[in-house]
Order: sequence, then structure tokens, then C-alpha cells
Amino acid sequence: MQLSTVQPVFKLELNHKITPDVVTIAKYDGTHPCLTASAGYDKIIIHHPHGGIASGRAQRSQAHGEVSELNLSQAVIALAAGPLRPDTGRDMLLIGSPTQILAYDVHDNTDLFFKEAPDGVNVITTGFFGKHTETLAIIGGNSSVQAIDWEGNEVFWNVVSGKVCAMITFDFDKDGENELLIGCDDSFIRVLKNNQFIAEIAETGPILCLSPVNEVRFAYGLANGTIGIYEEGIRLWRVKSKQNALALQWSGDTLACCWSNGRVDWREGTTGRVLRRVQMRANAAAMLLADYRSVGAPDLVCVSDKGEVLGYPPYQENTSFNAATKNMPSDEDRLAITELFNKKQALMVELQHYEANAASGSVSLDNLERPASAMPTNTRLQVAILHSPEEACLQLAVSTNNETVVRAALVLAEGIFESGETFIRHPQPSQLRSLLHVPLRPPRDVPVDVHIKALIGYPDSEQFHIFELTKQLPRFAMYQSFTKEVRNKGNSYVTFRITERVQRICIWVNQNFLLEEELNIESEETKELHVNLLCMRDQSYLYMDFAADGQVKFSTHDIRLAGDLIQSLAVYLNLTDLQSVAQFPEAEKKLREEMEHVSQIGEMRSRLAAETAERAQLITALLPAAQDAAAYDLREMLNRYKEVVMLNEELLTGCYIRRSTQEQAVASLKSLHTILQQAVRLRVGKYSKAVVAASRKAVQANNIEALIKIIQVGDSLVT
Amino acid sequence: MDYDLSRIDYGICGITYPDTLKILPPSGQKMEQKFAIGDKNGVLQCLSIKDEEPVVQFKTLPGKPITSVQLASSVGTQADKIFTASGNEVKGYTRKGKVFLSIETSLTETITSMYLHFRCIIGSDLILCSGRIVTYYRDLREYNSYICDDRVLDIAAFAVPNSTRVRLLVLIANKGAILLENGKLISRTTIPSGPSRLAVPPSTHVTDIIAFYGAGDGSIGIITYEELTLSSKCLVDGRGLGSVVCLGWYFNNGNYHLSVGRHDGSIQLYLVDMENFGEKPRLKYTYFCGEPVTSVVGGCVGTEESELLVATFSGRIFGLRSSHLVTGAKVPQDILATRRGKLEVEVARLEKQTANEREKYQRNTRSLHAGLSTPPLLDIQYELLGATNDGWQEVRITSAVPLDMLFINSNKKLAMQTDTAAVLSICSSKEAGPDLLASVRCQAGTRRVWVKMREISNSSTESKFEGSRVLIYALPAGAPRVARLVTLKLPALPYYSSHEALEKDFEKRERVWCQLEISGNFSVAEITSWLTEALPGELPRPASNVSFTRSHTLLDTILVCQYERGHATFKSDNVSTIATIRNIVSNCSVEKSIRVEMSCDIPDNCCLASFKQLEDKFKREYKKNKDIILKNAISMLDLDSSMNEEGPILCQDYATVWDSRDSINETQFEELVDIILQWYLDWRTLSLLENFNNESTKLKVALKECKVDDIIKILSKNVP
Repeated sequence: MQLSTVQPVFKLELNHKITPDVVTIAKYDGTHPCLTASAGYDKIIIHHPHGGIASGRAQRSQAHGEVSELNLSQAVIALAAGPLRPDTGRDMLLIGSPTQILAYDVHDNTDLFFKEAPDGVNVITTGFFGKHTETLAIIGGNSSVQAIDWEGNEVFWNVVSGKVCAMITFDFDKDGENELLIGCDDSFIRVLKNNQFIAEIAETGPILCLSPVNEVRFAYGLANGTIGIYEEGIRLWRVKSKQNALALQWSGDTLACCWSNGRVDWREGTTGRVLRRVQMRANAAAMLLADYRSVGAPDLVCVSDKGEVLGYPPYQENTSFNAATKNMPSDEDRLAITELFNKKQALMVELQHYEANAASGSVSLDNLERPASAMPTNTRLQVAILHSPEEACLQLAVSTNNETVVRAALVLAEGIFESGETFIRHPQPSQLRSLLHVPLRPPRDVPVDVHIKALIGYPDSEQFHIFELTKQLPRFAMYQSFTKEVRNKGNSYVTFRITERVQRICIWVNQNFLLEEELNIESEETKELHVNLLCMRDQSYLYMDFAADGQVKFSTHDIRLAGDLIQSLAVYLNLTDLQSVAQFPEAEKKLREEMEHVSQIGEMRSRLAAETAERAQLITALLPAAQDAAAYDLREMLNRYKEVVMLNEELLTGCYIRRSTQEQAVASLKSLHTILQQAVRLRVGKYSKAVVAASRKAVQANNIEALIKIIQVGDSLVT
Repeated sequence: MDYDLSRIDYGICGITYPDTLKILPPSGQKMEQKFAIGDKNGVLQCLSIKDEEPVVQFKTLPGKPITSVQLASSVGTQADKIFTASGNEVKGYTRKGKVFLSIETSLTETITSMYLHFRCIIGSDLILCSGRIVTYYRDLREYNSYICDDRVLDIAAFAVPNSTRVRLLVLIANKGAILLENGKLISRTTIPSGPSRLAVPPSTHVTDIIAFYGAGDGSIGIITYEELTLSSKCLVDGRGLGSVVCLGWYFNNGNYHLSVGRHDGSIQLYLVDMENFGEKPRLKYTYFCGEPVTSVVGGCVGTEESELLVATFSGRIFGLRSSHLVTGAKVPQDILATRRGKLEVEVARLEKQTANEREKYQRNTRSLHAGLSTPPLLDIQYELLGATNDGWQEVRITSAVPLDMLFINSNKKLAMQTDTAAVLSICSSKEAGPDLLASVRCQAGTRRVWVKMREISNSSTESKFEGSRVLIYALPAGAPRVARLVTLKLPALPYYSSHEALEKDFEKRERVWCQLEISGNFSVAEITSWLTEALPGELPRPASNVSFTRSHTLLDTILVCQYERGHATFKSDNVSTIATIRNIVSNCSVEKSIRVEMSCDIPDNCCLASFKQLEDKFKREYKKNKDIILKNAISMLDLDSSMNEEGPILCQDYATVWDSRDSINETQFEELVDIILQWYLDWRTLSLLENFNNESTKLKVALKECKVDDIIKILSKNVP
């Protein structure tokens, strides 16, 4: 498809470099939209074509008359805006820096609030959420989300298992209230409702962008170049590109997608077919929807990283190419005829293939002169999955039923292989057999569809037949059952009580595990179930005991696995609430270490900050002194400059130290949150919510013992 | 772009070869012309267009693939006889479809192109090209023939003034063009861009020898014969456009246009000044159809106004008409609608039929009685191009059906690149061997895809012993579900892709020749097959005595090969080339268990002399390399944040680098360092000197720092 010649409706140059993805459009005076972007490390520029803003902290830019600059002392990581203050309709600017968040009223030149964000700031979004009546600012950190109101008070807080990369407020379950959709770098889209995760969509790469489409659909973009649309939790379509999607917007009944290389395409909402495509002159920095021309309908505003801004109106069929000729019915017919010829051609090729087949059908198998593309007609392909504890993986066995060989096998599955999504086996000519093993190592416990394309033929064939098969790996495929009786089941476990017939649990086990033979309940009377499993990844054991009285015990050293099992079981049995008692010494130990670490780093950080401030003060004093000395004593000046240089170096070292402590702090916090998240997943429903609330309180109070208690028994105060 | 043409689909046929679509001259009063097209199934169709719908005038039965279609006239009338060549047969049809001529020639190879020349009053001439041979038939009797150095690609005939003789302009692969008269060569010219097609301007005097050519690198030029010399001139540069597959003429608005169909699926119209052919043709129109174009000709096919008729590789036939004609509602709406309806019915019928056949086919897989399924080979064309000065070798794959993915296996580690329309992923191979697995996933509807490959220089001091074998499995997106295997050999000396004339004046440059003499009990065919391991592109077909010259695209060194049965001589001013050929020949001969005697004559000063030739280039690349490092450093400073009109304030040296930042991108410095080091090592090996490790390390250091004096000192040691 060639580039479309569609022209933008407006075009302007900001004359500033724009940091990709740190761009927003806000109505600071309540009516006129202003493009706001980060231009370099700590500089924010505000474009106000509809008249200036009150001079305050913002200074008029030298490079562009309609642009004001705002300098912060910290790096700008995220920008957002929204009408936070309930008493005015004006948008407030939210500026996220690595550890702080600042709400600034551009129109009044006042700070609304200023808040420390120890979890870091990755994304900020504003909007209505749940039952809250006012606009909230929601901040996605390294492993947490936090919502604050206009005065800076925390409304809720929750842990997420990965770095938050994208967030939108969206009515996921159509109950009239917004939920929060969170896209994380651990390849999950999670839905937070009422401070509780109600759904989790496994994707195949870190989620980069999310965008609402309509009441039931939303669009997503991944770091591996995939974009797609979900409708009520089911994927409608997806396409993959070499580039990463930077932004997705729903404009004029099409999905506009802005790729990082500056290409923008408009796609059909239901199929993802490209309708038209334009290319910007530089890499893209952002694409937003705003009524920038004040015409009453939002335009698509595309910003390049060189500061070029292009506006496109909503997509309309007849503006795509030649407006005059497009709608002629004869053209439509001609296009249809071209399309029909395409179809006809494809069918003819296929038909020829079968015809040639039938013609040579009489050739006997014993014929020595075998054509280069021959194959017995009754060749079939069989596929099985086996556990291979020796190689710590699953083996996909692909075999034919006769003397033909599997020349090559391509396995397509997402999220299984380190190098992309395909894995190829192509044996040496000497090792060609009719059986081929492909090793699979799913790194996480999610169900995976494995597509297999096998090339079947004779070793010397010039053409091979393609056999295609799809096999679904169950969620817990990496666990192999064994029947040995075990006494010592380890001291890490989680127990809970369910009231469910063991027969149903048996079905759950059969569905979610890859067992050599299906688990069968011998008689109706059986009330107990014991399953022993071995994990292929680390050769650890998992025991599942379902006792007659409804008591369930999962014994594993891995708290994450226990959580996954409970969540899967809860979904299967449709449990709304589940309380559990857990004993995971490994996780507890790690938790203690991390808490210790975090508080240590906190102390160190404040000490370092004080030192830095002191040195900076000294430099500011020394520098003018050195400049003064130049007037009377050159030697003196040199000495003073030397001091300045020395101090400067010290400052630099200090800066490196601070940076590494910061990194450590972030890492510690992240693993702390991960453990808490895993503890949350051991419970379901209101109990998991209670764990979040209680652990937040305990972390703030720095109460390690309380935290451990929470992990073990959940928050027992909630009844 | 000046013209606005829109596409109208006429129909489909089988796979077509280049230039197999011809428009017949108008007959009688009617302006509308018919056209004939021959395809790979051997079907020749003559069609006319009525209301955008093709009407079959006649259609032959399938047979051998038709490789060439030409028109000619019988005495005194218009050129309305259709001649087809398939295999070694030539058939002639009247415009009614009656066969009036059928001859089977004694040629052993497929006729690739032909030319018919009918002289007034007496008889007719038929010129056939097959393989390397041009055969001239006069009144259907073989009159004379000429054997060219390489494959004949295209041919044009011109009458000699005041004589019944004919002069032939012949395009020869890898060589250029020659002019023949009476089976004798009268003039030749070399064209380095690799011309592939000729187009003789219409309405010139048949005696003026003048023809346009389209070349493999996408360029277009002109060949003229003036004052007894044949000369060529490039008029339009390739500029990244695909190689030219076919040329044609399109007459519109009183102007002649050269129509060009390319392998990358683009079609261009160039306005040609008929008064002055040497003038640069002006680009007027471009259309992109997505698959290789095999024929583009102009004529009044559908309407009374001239349009461009196009045939593609997979057999689509469509017209490009002026938009005002298309929208001018000349065709009643209901006719279009009925045509669409008819097609819909037909497609539906085909769908049903295919579904039936598919089911039958699948039923077979469950039957106990095993038959043998032998589907026809997928129609896939491929081509491996020699490296240009960046060392990448390109494989072009063209398929008649859309491709889903390519799956590539190589026995050596290769670096790879591919089309923008495809995603390349290198897969980890389970065996930790040296082999490589990669997959190329194509966009929907991809029928042509290229993959560039180069060997990863593993800085080993050994020169290469063999080329690398590459297997490409092409998997189509839809039915038939079969994968075609394409086997390629990447040569060990990919840079020697440029062909030179044998008698090129090498003395312009002082060259020091290294020589390798091989004698043994081998045939010409055997040594040719050994050389395919080393050299890219097609080698001359075995003959009693073969000699050719290639030049290195990066270093400009020369390799002269001369061989006959039992004896071969290789001459080069690049010692590494000689070393590699020596290795390969000894390797291959051992494999075939043929005893060969090899002797090298390596001058002592060969490295030094070669380096002196390269010195300027080396220094240039060194500077460029430094500039790139500097450029990267400057860009890292993030100078744009202080963006103002003049750009960042820098000292002059830096500013020059910064200003030219877009033009300096890559350098071959590293490669040159490796090459020179390799020269040195090979020279020492071949001269039977011991290799001192520290000496080569010293050389490497000197090379990296571009200390020319040191380099010369090291290289000139042992030189008396």
C-alpha cells in the first residue's frame, strides 16, 4: 500500500525538540486547548495559539512566539492534565518527575500540591474512577498504582506486579462506573475495580499503550510491535509491525495508530485493515485527540520529535484519495473486479494443484523415479507433548506415519522462546527422521497456543508438504505428575477451605495440567484427592491435597505459583471470596531483607542529599569569587578555579552514588511490592482487598512483623 | 507526475515470460486493436476488449511454455502475423488463429528471444536466440549463426542501406552489446550496468542503429552505432528502482513514451524526445502493481485512445487508461455490473469446485491405499546477485502465489537483512553448530521479497575454503500447502561481481600480478563448477577455451580466469583472491578425487603494490571512520536542546562533521583493515614465509591507526 496523499488541516512548528510520549493537551483556561510537552530534560513547553497565558513561572520562548517555557529542577517523566479542582472547569497540569508529582495550575500560576512518590512515576492519567465523583489523578509507578484527589490526598493504592507502562479509565464490565485498565511490562493488562483486580489479560509483550475505543472496546499496543482491539475482554484482531506503536486514538470510526518511526495509519475498527497511511518527516513523539482548531470536533494532533505538529480531521471515506472519483459506482465495480480476479487466480492455482495430483495418482509407490515433490497421499502428522525432566523442558514430538521425514518444523508461539515467537528445528541431513522433537520452555504459567508448521517430504525432495497443527498448552503445563508417596512435603504451603465436590476439582486439574493420563475418580464416594507434581523449571515439587472436609493444601516453595493456582481455581469454581493461611518462609525472609534495605536506603538518601546541597552551596559561592579574582590576581583565580573543579568532581561522584542508591531503592521497592502482590493473590475477593489495605498501612508504618502476619493469615480484622 | 491513469483489469492467464504480450496493428477501419499473449502453459490467446470485457478471438491448446511472442507481416501488409517460440519450436499464426508455419529447429536450448524480419519482395528472415547462440534463418533455412561469450538476452535487427543484409544488435549477459552482420562481429561495447532489454524507437529509419536499453540495476540508456563504433550512454540512473524486465512504447498526445516494467512491480512512462534521443527522458508516470511486470505496451485496446497494456509475472492482464476516460462514463454502468456479477458467479463456482477437490484430496490422506501425491512445483523464480561495494549479496524471490514466510537455513553464520514488508528473525538453533536458522514473515499479499546476506567476517586468519550453502524454503500463504526448497550457494569471493572486458586496458594502473597455474585431469565443466564456489553470478558456459575477467567492486582489483581442459590460469593483483581460489580448487579436486598440480607465482612486492593502489581510499575511509565516531559523540551531546537557527556552536572541524552528518553513515574502514591484513597473511603463506604473530599484530595496529609509513615498512620487509 502506498502512502496516501492526505493533507493535514493544520501544521505548525514548535521549534523545540519534543520528548516522545511526554505530551498532553489541556485547557488551562477552561476553553482553549494548549499543547504541552516536555522539551528536553527538565523543560516543559506550552503552546498557546489562542492568546497568551498569564506570565508567571512560564517564560516566553525565544524560539517560538506562541510557546512558553517552564523550567523545573527535575527531569520530566510524565505529563497529564485534567479538571482536578471541583470548583473550576480548568485543567490542572500534572508533572511527574522520577520521585515527585507536582500539580500546577497554569492559569493561576499556583501549585495545587506537591507530593513525594517513592515508587516512582511512569504514567499519569486523570479521570473518573469507580464511585468517586471527582476527577482523580492516577499515578502508575514501578510496581504500584496510586490515586490522589485535588488536594493531594491518597484515595487508593494498590500493588501491581510490574512496571506500569500504560493506564486508562474504562468501563470494562459495563456497570456505568469506570474501571482502571493497567498495562504492565510483565505483559499483562489488568483491570482494577474498586481497588481489586477483576480481570487479567495475558498479552505477549510489555504493554506500551492503551486507548478506549467505545463502550465495549479498547485498543492496545505492545513493545513487540503488536497492536489490536479487545471487545469485552476478547481480542477482535491484532497485527504486528516492526515498529512500536507510540499512540493509538479512535478518530472518526477508525483506529489511528502512530508508530515510533513517524508513520500514522488509520485502520478499520473491526478488522485492522489499513485504510490510509501518512508518514511524518521525523520520528513521532505523540498523537493526541483535541479540538485544536475550535471547530467542535476533535482532530488528530500528531507531534514529531523535531517539534512539528500536524492536525488531521477524523477519517472520512471520500477524503482518502480523490474525492471526486472515489464514490463513482463504476470505480467500485472496477475495484471489485480486480479483487475478484485476485480470488479467481488464487483458486485456479489451488485447483491446478489438485488436478495435477489426480493426474499422477496412478503412480505407484514402488516407482523408483520419484518426482521431486512426491509424497504418499495417506501421510499424516501426529503431535504429542511429553515432559522431559532431563532437559527441564517440554518436548513437542512431531512425527509422520510413514517413511517420509520431517524436514523442518516451525513452532509459532508467543512468549515461550527467548528469540522472538518462532522456533525452528532443521535437522542435519544425516539426522532426518520421521520423528522430530522440539523443546518448549514456557517461562510463565499461562495457557499458550502452539502453532506447528511441519515440512514433510523425502530427504531429497525439492518441494515439501506443509502440515499445520495447533496445540494448546494448558496453564500449568510445566508440571509433571508422579505417583510416589511423599511424607515430607516441605514447610511452605497455603491452606484454605472450599466446599466443592472433588469431582469438579478433578476436572479443573485435568484442564489445567498436562498429565500423562487423565485423573479419574474411582467412585462417587471418593472425597479426597492428592496430586504430586514436579516442576520442569527448577525441579521443585508441588503437592496438592484436597481433603475430605474441604480443607485444601498446596505445598510449594513458590508463593507465586501458589497464588496462580488459587486464582485459577477461584475462577474455575466461581468463588467470590476466599481467605487462606500461608506459610512461605522464603518469601518472608526476602520481605524482611527488603524492608531493611528500603529503610537503610532512605536514611542514606537523605544524608547524601544534605551533602550535595552543601557542596552546591559552596560552588555557588566560589564561582563568583574566582571570577572576581581574575580582576586582581591571576594565581589566586587559578587556585579558586581549581577548587571549583575539585568540588565539581565531588559533586559528580556524589551524583553517581545517589543515582545508584536510587536504583537500588527502586529495585527493593519493586521486589517488596512483588511479594505483597503475591500475598494478595493467595486470597480472593474482599480478603485480597483487605490484604492490600493492611499491607499499605504496615509498609507506611515500617512494621515488618505486621507485614509478615498479613502474608501468613491475610488481614484477620476483616470479617 | 503528469499523467493520471487508472487501472482496469481485463483478465488472467498463466505465468508469463518477459515480453510475451504484443498488440496487433489495427485492421481495417476499426481503431481498436487486438492483442496476443502467450503463457507458461503454452496457451496463446488473442483477445480484443469490448466495454472493458475481453473477447477471445482465438486460443490455442496448452503445450510447451511460450517464451517469446513476436509479430511480423507477410509481404506488403501490416505486421499481423503472430509468431510464438516454445522450447525449440517456432509457430506462426494468422490473426484468425490459423497455424501457417510450424518449424522445429535443431537448437538444443530454449529459444529465449526471436526477431522476424520481412524484407520487401523477397522472402523472410528469422533470427532466433537460444542460450549463447544467435541463429539466422533465411527462408526457413539456417543461414548462419554466431556463438556469443555469454547468454543472449535480447536482440534487434536493422536493415543495411541498399542491401538485403541485416545487422543484428545483440545484448549479451554480463558483457554488453555487440553488432553482428552476416554472422560476423562488427562492433562491440561493454555496458557495466548489465542491460537486460532492448527497445527500438518506432518510426525511425530501419537503417539507423539506435536502441534504448533497460538494465539490471534499474537504469535506462541508449545504444547507438555511429561512425562505425557502437557506443552506449546511460540516460536515467537506477536510483534504487528494480531491475528492468520489459520495455515498450506508448504513444499519447502526439508524444512517444518509453514504458518500463520492472521487477519490483513498478511501471514508468518516460517522455522521449524523438528528435534527439540522447536527451534525458522525462519521467511522466509511475504505477505500482505489486508483482514483477513482464510486458508493458501501448495501444488502442479498449477505446479509441491509446492506453498502456500490462502483463505481470503471475499472469494478470490489465490496462492503464487515462482517468478522464475511465470516469467519463463511456461504459454503461449496467455492463460493468453484469461483468462483476458474472465474475462473482464464476468465482463462486470455482470456490465450490475447489472445495470439492480439497475434500477429495484430504480424503486420500485417510485411505489405506497409499497413492503418490505429486503436486506441481510452485512457480517461484529466484536470483542471487553479486555483491556491490558493501559486501551484501541479495537474493530475490518471486512467486506467483502470495508468500507467507521464508525459512532460511545456512551452514555458516550470516548477517541478514530483508525487505521492509517482511519481518526477519534469527532463530537460535538447538545444535550449537555453526549453522543458522532464520525466518522471514511476509506481509499479506507479498509476492516478491528480497533477502540480503553476507558472511560474518570472523577475523580468522584463514582464507575461505568454500562458499556457504543456503537453503530457502518458501511457504505460500494460501493453498497449495507445499513449500518449495531453493538451494543457493554463496560464493567465497562475492565482491567479484562486476564483469570487465578481456582486453581492458589494465596498464592504466600499475598492477603487480599474482598468478596461479593449475593443471590436472579435469574438464572445463568441472572447473566451472568449482569456480561457482568462488565467484558470484553466472559463469560462462563451458566451451573449449574459456576466459573472462571480473573486478572487485570494493577494491577494484582484477581477476582474470583462463581455462581449458586440463589447464587453468588465474591472474589477479589481489593475493587473497589467488589464495582463496587455490584453497577452493584444491578442496573441490580432493572431493572429486582428481589430481591437480598447482603452482603460484607471487611477486614479493604484491602486498606493497596493492596497498599503494589502495592507499588513497584507505586514508579516505580512515578519515570517514573518525568522522563517524565524532558524529556519534556530537549527537550524544544532545545539542538540539539549544536549538537555534544556525545550529549548535562548534569549532570548525566539528561543525563540518555535524553539517554533513546525514551523508556520512557507513564506512568500509574495518573491512579494509581486515582485507589488507589478509593480504599480508596470504602473501606470507603463499610465499612460504613463516607467519610471525607479532608482525601481523603490529600491522593491525598500524592499520587501525592509519600509520601509512609503518604499514609500508612492514609490508616491504622481505622485499628485496
